[in-house]
Amino acid sequence: MTDAGPSRPMSGHPNRKVREIDGRRIVFDGKGFMRHPEDWSEAVARHLAEESGLPELNQTHWQVIQFMRDYYFYHGRAPMNRDLKSGLNMTLMALEALFPGGIREGARRVAGLPNPKSCAG
Amino acid sequence: MTQLIYLDNAATTFPKPRSVIEAMCETYQRVGVSPGRGSYDLSSEAQSLVEQTRGKIARFFGAPDPERVVFAANATDALNLAIQGIVQPGDHVVSTTLEHNSVLRPLAHLQAAGVIGYDLVPFDDRGFIDPDNIENAIRPNTRLVVVTQASNVMGTIQPIEAIGRRCSEKGVCLLVDTAQSAGLVPLDMTAWHVGAVAFTGHKALCGPTGIGGLVVHPDVDIQPTRFGGTGVDSKSLVHTGTYPHRLEAGTLNLMGIIGLSHGLDHIGAEGVGSILAREAGLAGQLCRGLRAIDSIRIFGEPEAADHVGLVTVTMKDKHPQDLADILDGDFGIAVRAGLHCAPLVHIAMGSYPDGGVRFSPGPFSTAGDIDAAIAAMAAIARF
Repeated sequence: MTDAGPSRPMSGHPNRKVREIDGRRIVFDGKGFMRHPEDWSEAVARHLAEESGLPELNQTHWQVIQFMRDYYFYHGRAPMNRDLKSGLNMTLMALEALFPGGIREGARRVAGLPNPKSCAG
Repeated sequence: MTQLIYLDNAATTFPKPRSVIEAMCETYQRVGVSPGRGSYDLSSEAQSLVEQTRGKIARFFGAPDPERVVFAANATDALNLAIQGIVQPGDHVVSTTLEHNSVLRPLAHLQAAGVIGYDLVPFDDRGFIDPDNIENAIRPNTRLVVVTQASNVMGTIQPIEAIGRRCSEKGVCLLVDTAQSAGLVPLDMTAWHVGAVAFTGHKALCGPTGIGGLVVHPDVDIQPTRFGGTGVDSKSLVHTGTYPHRLEAGTLNLMGIIGLSHGLDHIGAEGVGSILAREAGLAGQLCRGLRAIDSIRIFGEPEAADHVGLVTVTMKDKHPQDLADILDGDFGIAVRAGLHCAPLVHIAMGSYPDGGVRFSPGPFSTAGDIDAAIAAMAAIARF
């Protein structure tokens, strides 16, 4: 696991935390999603994956992560369910099983995408 | 996968009946002017449509005075109008842990502002409120009781008539949130001693989004909390004091009102009882199928009597949001995941903070849709 400093609350934003990972100061929200996807790096991904119980990212994991990031930066939003299925050529059941945290709290978080703003929480 | 199986009708009915959409568009195209604001005939005709719809709403809820049918954007908007307009500094309010945030948040806001105090009555293991507990929570300074007629998570239909009787005996106003029940479950304001009813048009009433309202009994007075043009008494800088203008400000949502009116016609033709029986039957079919899957937990007893047709579940080791994404992406089934804006229900059911997945059949759902949902859940559980 790459070096990670202690998690600190962000002044003025009680639901945000600043963490230092791989020499970068990165802002996370209260559910552990990155606030700024551009702060992401492969080292950050490896760190977040290991924290989630995934000690090593294989080629399929990286394909998922890269697809999510490419899609996000091209379209300005995260891929919808049908985009994930067709773009990755895998079922969402398979995608959910691939990351310990599942799709949203696993794949999406490791890929450094922001927290989806749904009524889930 | 060719066609979406839509099982999120508790959020909004979809699709709307074709007759409603077509009549709404045709009428609005023909009469879509500012209702009651002009002296020309078309404005009067639009105003007549508004007044006719007030009358339909009053009859639908057993309200004595159509002029006390106030249009709002939705049930949340209507609940805010009622709660903030009824309570006064120092008042106490009784509500329940079944409530949607449309009730919980106005109450929390008013308490934080030092205006009111409130107590929430818990529901039992099956998801019902005991009227005795409501009565016991009422204090000398309780001005308002707010209860949902049907839980948007448990589907339970609450004993509004019995609660209304207790409130009447105590001289306290009962405000009922009918967001999940209007169009499925009858309510008689007058016979049941209900002081005010908040409703939304876009759910079981089969109207469009953006229209709802508040029906106020003549015994209840609500102070306005928003002010502006009403089309009457324009010389006065003080907002109009008579109903319905007292609680309405600005040009009405005529398109929504027309759609609501046609939605009510649709409901009337189908019959509230038969719509509920059909949707509850589909929910029962779903329950029977899901109970055969070991990893699924069903909230309460949705197949029992006194329930609207919705089923909330969790699946072991599956995040509800992922489960909903899988149902959508892999099986073409639309459901609602999360806390359903009713966090206290999920806390009580042990499903907080992730929530659950809610299946809610609607007017166009079929037994085949339910079979497909059961098969999808079984496939996900096996994977």
